[in-house]
Amino acid sequence: MTESNGGRNGSGGEDRYSATEATERRDHEGTTGEEAMAEAIGAGSPEDIGQSTRAAGDSIQQTIGAARAESGSYTFPAFDDHHPPEKDLIDDCVHCGFCLPTCPTYVLFGEEMDSPRGRIYLMNKGLTEEPLNDEMVRHFDLCLGCMACVTACPSGVQYDKLIEATRQQVERRYDRRADDRAFREMIFQFFPYPNRLRAVAAPMRLYQRFGIGDKLRRAGVMQRIPARMRAMEALLPDLPKEEKIPDLTGPVGERRRRVGVLTGCVQRVFFSPVNAATVRVLAAEGCEVVAPKQGCCGALSTHAGREEESLDFARKTIDTFEDLDLDNVVVNAAGCGSTMKEYGYLLRDDPEYAERAKDFSAKVRDVSEFLQELGPVAERNPLPVTAAYHDACHLAHAQGVRKQPRQTLKQIPGMDVKEIREAEVCCGSAGIYNMVEPEPAAELGERKANNILKTGAQVIVTSNPGCMLQLQASLKKMGHGGLPMAHPMEVLDASLRGVPVETLLDK
Amino acid sequence: MQTQNVPTEGLQGIVGKEHVREASAEDAVDGVEPSLVVEPGTIEETSEVMKLASREGLAVSVRGGGTKMGLGNPPRRVDLILSTARMDSMIEHVPGDQIVRVQAGLQLQDLQDNLAESDQMLGVDPPEEGATVGGIVAANSSGPRRLRYGTIRDLIIGVKVVLADGTVAKAGGKVVKNVAGYDLSKLFTGSLGTLGVIAEANFRLHPIRETARTVFLEVDEHAKIANAVQELTHSSFSQFVLDALEMRWEGDRGVIAALFEGIEPAVEAQSSTAVEVLRSHGETHILGEDDGGEFWERFARRPWDAGDVGLKIGAPPSDLTAVLDSVVGAADRAGVGASLSGHAGTGVTFAGLSGGEEGLVEVVGEVREIRLRRGGSVVVQEAPLAIKEKLDVWGSAGDYLGLTRRVKEKFDPGYTMNPGRFLGGI
Amino acid sequence: MDRGQLIETMQEILGPEGVIHKREELRTYECDGLMNYRVIPDLVVLPESAEQVQQIVKTCYDEGIPFVARGSGTGLSGGALPVESGVLIVLTRLRRILEVDIPNGRVVVEPGVINVWVSQEVADEGYYYAPDPASQIVSSIGGNLAENSGGVHCLKYGFTTNHVMGAEVVLPDGSVVHIGGGKSPDAPGYELLGAFVGSEGTLGIATKITLRVLRQPEDVRTLLAAFKDTEEAGGAVSGIIGGGIVPAAIEMMDALTIEAVERQVSPGFPEAGAILIVELDGPEAEVESQFDQVIKVCEDNDASEIRIAEDDEERALFWKGRKAAFGAMGSISNDYYVQDGVVPRTELGAVLKKIADLSEEYGLRVANVFHAGDGNLHPLVLYDNDTPGEADKAEELAGEIVFACLEHGGSLTGEHGIGRDKMKYMPQMFTADDMDVMQLLRCAFDPHRICNPGKIFPTPRLCGERPGPFHMHPVQKAGLAENF
Repeated sequence: MTESNGGRNGSGGEDRYSATEATERRDHEGTTGEEAMAEAIGAGSPEDIGQSTRAAGDSIQQTIGAARAESGSYTFPAFDDHHPPEKDLIDDCVHCGFCLPTCPTYVLFGEEMDSPRGRIYLMNKGLTEEPLNDEMVRHFDLCLGCMACVTACPSGVQYDKLIEATRQQVERRYDRRADDRAFREMIFQFFPYPNRLRAVAAPMRLYQRFGIGDKLRRAGVMQRIPARMRAMEALLPDLPKEEKIPDLTGPVGERRRRVGVLTGCVQRVFFSPVNAATVRVLAAEGCEVVAPKQGCCGALSTHAGREEESLDFARKTIDTFEDLDLDNVVVNAAGCGSTMKEYGYLLRDDPEYAERAKDFSAKVRDVSEFLQELGPVAERNPLPVTAAYHDACHLAHAQGVRKQPRQTLKQIPGMDVKEIREAEVCCGSAGIYNMVEPEPAAELGERKANNILKTGAQVIVTSNPGCMLQLQASLKKMGHGGLPMAHPMEVLDASLRGVPVETLLDK
Repeated sequence: MQTQNVPTEGLQGIVGKEHVREASAEDAVDGVEPSLVVEPGTIEETSEVMKLASREGLAVSVRGGGTKMGLGNPPRRVDLILSTARMDSMIEHVPGDQIVRVQAGLQLQDLQDNLAESDQMLGVDPPEEGATVGGIVAANSSGPRRLRYGTIRDLIIGVKVVLADGTVAKAGGKVVKNVAGYDLSKLFTGSLGTLGVIAEANFRLHPIRETARTVFLEVDEHAKIANAVQELTHSSFSQFVLDALEMRWEGDRGVIAALFEGIEPAVEAQSSTAVEVLRSHGETHILGEDDGGEFWERFARRPWDAGDVGLKIGAPPSDLTAVLDSVVGAADRAGVGASLSGHAGTGVTFAGLSGGEEGLVEVVGEVREIRLRRGGSVVVQEAPLAIKEKLDVWGSAGDYLGLTRRVKEKFDPGYTMNPGRFLGGI
Repeated sequence: MDRGQLIETMQEILGPEGVIHKREELRTYECDGLMNYRVIPDLVVLPESAEQVQQIVKTCYDEGIPFVARGSGTGLSGGALPVESGVLIVLTRLRRILEVDIPNGRVVVEPGVINVWVSQEVADEGYYYAPDPASQIVSSIGGNLAENSGGVHCLKYGFTTNHVMGAEVVLPDGSVVHIGGGKSPDAPGYELLGAFVGSEGTLGIATKITLRVLRQPEDVRTLLAAFKDTEEAGGAVSGIIGGGIVPAAIEMMDALTIEAVERQVSPGFPEAGAILIVELDGPEAEVESQFDQVIKVCEDNDASEIRIAEDDEERALFWKGRKAAFGAMGSISNDYYVQDGVVPRTELGAVLKKIADLSEEYGLRVANVFHAGDGNLHPLVLYDNDTPGEADKAEELAGEIVFACLEHGGSLTGEHGIGRDKMKYMPQMFTADDMDVMQLLRCAFDPHRICNPGKIFPTPRLCGERPGPFHMHPVQKAGLAENF
C-alpha cells in the first residue's frame, strides 16, 4: 500500500511527527472516528502535541516570569530633560511590526514588550504618562542593541539613537538592585582597561594552562558561583601567548595610505594574534601602520548608557589619534568601529570636541571596508577551505558592512564561503549582554551555533571579539569546542603569507 | 403523498395561477411525494412564498434542474417543491471585471454559452446535464477542472438568499476581492437547500483557454495509477498548469488522463513533458482538442447507472491506491461489481457498485471503516431507496455535528427546509 | 471571579511567564497595526499549546469574560483591538510547523507561525505557500486566516480561504471542533471552514491550520513599467487583462508613493506619474509568449520606461519597493490613514479621478498604491495629527473614498477586514436584514457573545434567551450591545 504520509523532520526538530502515523497508533482515548477527523487535518493524537510545548526556553523567566529582577525603584516622570528619547524619532514608528521577527528577544520570548515596536511604545508612554520602574527597565535592559530592527524597518526609525538615549536615562534615574549594580561596576572596572583585564586574565590564564578550571568544575565549586559569574567564566577563551605589535610598521612596497589601528581591549588581551594579523595585512596592502599607545574607545560604555564614561573615552581616543596625520583609523572590532563612527553624534554637545569628533569619525573604517575601498594589490595564495561567515551585528546592522568582509574572503582562491541561516539574528554577545543577561544570551548562542553547524563549515569567520567569545562558548557547550574560529584578517593574513590551511585550522 | 392541507390559493395569489401545480409521482423525493410545485419568477415572489410556507408550517424542498434530488437521506417531509426554473436569467456580465451575476435557475450550459461569446467561462464542469447554477452551488457539484479552478466555493463571490421565514439577505458582492462581513456565500455552498433558498449568485470567471491536449495512459494495477498521479503532480507542473487529472478503473484495467489547456506552444510543451514523465508507466497517447473533447465527455461520467449504489469517497490524494484496493477488495469479497472513476489529482474517487442489497451495504460499511482510520469520507450519492433506509448516506458526522446543528437551528429554526436530508439527519 | 483570582487562575494554567498583568506592559498591547483605536486589555495571556488555549477559553466562557485573539498584531482594521474588561489571547508562542506532507501538498501549522516561514519550510522541495500579504514577513497564519488575507498574487491564486484546507478550532464555549477536510477533499456537512475564514476572530480561535502548498511555477517574469499617470497605467492594465492574460500579480503605485518608497527603501524606481509592476508565472512557453504580449501592451499605452527583472535579486527589489509602501509613508508624512476599498476594475479610472478630486477638495494628499488586477485600492490619506482638525478631516475624506467605492459597485474592504475601523460603514453596504442574517452565523458559534465582541457589526444582536436570573452581559455593561 502506498504510504500516505510525507511527514518528516524539518527545521522544527524533534517536535515534528507524522499525523497519519499517529492515527495508526490505537492506544489513546477518543473514538477512532474522532481521531480520524482530527488526523484529517493533522491534529493527530492530543498527547503527541501536548509534549514539549515550550516555545521559549527557561530564559523567559527573566522577562515576565518568576525570575524577573526587581528593585522597586520608581521614578516619575520616567525621563529627564537631558537627551530623553526623541519624540520625533518615536513618531517615525508606524507600528507596522516588521521589526518583530528579526528581534532576538522577540524570537525568544514572543511578547510585545521585548520587541522594538514594544520598546518604542514604552519609551513613548514614558515620555508623558508612565514611570520608569522595574517593568520598563527590564525590557530596556533585555534589548541587545543589535539593531537588526533598524535594518528591517521600512519607515527608517532610528532605534539605535532611541535605545542609547533611553539607556542613559536608565543609568541616571533607575536604582538598580545592589548586586546588579555591583556586577556592572565590576565589568566596567576591568573590561575597558586592557592592563587590568590582562592582570585579572593572568591568573585565569594560569589556571587554564594547568587545567585548574576543569578541576574546580569537577569539584563542583563552579556550581555555587551565581549564573552571571558562571557565564563570564564560560566565556573564557583558550588564551594564546600575547603577540605584541610595533608602534610603527612600514608598508610593503609603495606607501598608499597612512593609517592608525585600534588595538581594542578584549581584542588585545584575548585575541592579540588578530591585531598582529591586521597590521601585517595592512602593511602588505601598502599601508604605513601606526599603533599608538591607546585606551578604550568607549563602545561598551556607550552601549550600556554610561554617558560620562563613554564621552570621556571618546575624547581620549580622539586625542590619541588626531594629531598623527592619519588618512584613516582602521578598526578590526565591529563594536568599536560602530561607536567610533558615532563620535560626531555622541560629542555633539561638547563645543571643544564637536567638530573634531565629526572629522575623526569621518576617517574611521572597518578593516574589511577599508581594504575593499583601497582595492587589493597583494597576492593571495590559495586556502582551500569551507568557511562560514558570521555577521557581527555592529558591523552588518550598525555600519551596513556586509559585502566587504565576504568579498575579502572570496578574493582568496579556493575559499568556499557559506551563508548562515538566520544571519540577521544576533548571537547573543551584544557587548556586556552575555554577562548581565546570561540566560537569553545562552539560548541565542545555542541557536546561532546550531545554524553554524548546519553549514558544515570547517572554520567560522567573524569580525568581532565579542562574537568570537560567545560562539566559542556556545559551541563548547554543545561539544563542538574544537571548531576553529578566525577573524577575516587572520584568514587573509594566512593567505598572504602562504600559510597552509592546516595551520589556520590548528589555532 | 398528501400530508397537509396546502394553501394553493395563497400561492397562486403570489406567483399566478399558471405557476402553481399539483405534484405528480415524478416530483417525489426519495419516495416522498409533495403536494404542490410552485415556480416563483422573482426573488420577491420567492420571499412571499417562503413566508407563506413558514406560516403554514410547510416543508419546502428547492429544485433547480432536479439532477441531484437523490442526494441526501430520504426527507422526513416534503410539502412543497419550490422550483427555480423561471428565475433563469443572467443578471449582469462584466467581461472586463471577469464577473457574472445570475439567477439560480439558470442552467449551467446556457450560462457557459452566453459567456463564451466574450471568451469567458465559469470554471466548473459537473457532468450532470441540465444542472442549474443554484443547484450546483447547493450540492457543491464539480467536475474534472476542479483541479485547476477549484470547486464552486472557490468561484462564488456573492449570494442572495431567501430564508425559511422569507427574509431576503445578501452577502459578498460583485468584486472578486471582498472580506466585508461573513462569507455566507461559502456557507451556502453544499448546504443542499437546508439553510435557505439560493436565489442569486455571483461568480468570478476565467478566460476560455485557446486550445487543449489530453494525455492518457492505460495501466493494469492500482498502484500504477497512484504512482503516475504522484509523478505528474510533483513534477514540474504546478497545480495551475494541469487542468484535470482523472482516472477510471473497471474490471482489471485502469486509465489515467491529464488535461492541459492553454496556448498552443504551452500545451504542446506540457503534453510532451507529461508523456516523458509517464513513459516508464506504460504506453501513453495524446489527443488534440476535438478528440479530447469527446474523450472527456465519456471519461468524466459517473461510474454508476440507475439502481446502483454510487459512492463519493474523499481521501488524501496520496492514498489513492488504498482507496482503490479497499473498494475493489471489499466488492470482490461481497460479490458486488465495482467500477471507479475520480479526480485523482484532488483525492475524490467515485465508485459505482452493483449487486445484492446485503453485499452493497457490507461494502459501504467496510470502505467506511477503512476511511475512518486513514482519513476522509464516504458519502452515498446515489442508491435505491431500500438501501438508503439501511444506512446513513453521509457517514460519520465528526466532532462538528453539534455546531452544524446550531447553524441549522439559527437559519431554519422551524426545520422546514429539506428536513432530515442532511448530515446527522438534520 | 475578580481580577486577582483571574490572574491566579491563568498563572496556574500558563505559569507566570504566560500572563501579563502589569499596566505598562499591558499598554504595549493596546492596539494592533492600526493606532487610531486603543483599549488597554484587562489581562494578556500567552499560551504555548492548543490545550492551553482551550483552557483559557473555557475559563472565560465559564466566567462570562469576553476575549480577543491576537497574532503578530499587524492588522490594519483593529481586529485585534482588545475589548475592555476582557482578556487578550496572544498566539505568538504557538509557532511550530507541525507537519509537512509534500505528497499531498499540505502543511499543518500552529496559528502563530509567520506566513513566510511556510514558504521557507517547503522551498527546498520546490513548493511555496501562495497567499503573500505585504506583511508576510511578520503576520501570522492565524491572523491571515482571520482576515482572509490576500496579497499581490491573489488575482491568479486566490486568497487565504482558497489555501486553507482544514482547521482545529476552539469554539467560544471551550469545545474543540475540526472543520474542513484537511488532506481529504469535500468533507460532508456545511462549509463551516469557508465561513470561518475571514470571520475576523469572532467565531472562535484556530489552533491548528492545514494549508495547501503549491509547486513553484516553472518560470517567473517580472517587469516594471513607468507611465505618465494612473490613467495611462490603467489603460495598460485593461489591455493586459482584456487580452485574456491572468497575471500572477499586477500592482500600481502613484507618484506620491513612488517618492516615499524611493526615499525610504531606495529600490531605484524611475520617476513617473504611475508605475506598474506586472508578474507572470507558469509554464515557460506560456509565460514567454504572454510576457511579450504584456510588453507590447505597455508600449501601446505609452510607457516611458519598461524595466525587466534580470534575476531573482532584481525581482525581489521591485517587490521590496512595493511591499514597503505603507511603512515608507512615514517618511513623507507624520501620519496617514490607510484605506482598503475595492472597486470593479472597470471602474478604477473613475474612482481614482474621484479620489484626486476629493484630495484637492479637502486639501490633503492621498497616495495610491493598489492591486490593479482586482481593483483593491489602498488610498493613503496623509495628514499631520498635530495640526488641529486635520485628523478629523482625514477620517472624513477616508469616508468619502469608501462611499465612492461603494457607489461604483465595490466593497468596503478587500483584505484588511472590517474590524473596528470600518464598522460604521457597514450599513452603507449591507441592509439591516443582511447583517442580521450574517449574525445568525455568529449566534451559532458564539451565543454568549464573548468572542471578539464589538467588531464587524455596528449593532450586535444578542442571541436568544438565557435561562435563569437576568445577568447583565459584560458586553452590555460595556455599552457595546443591546438585547433584542
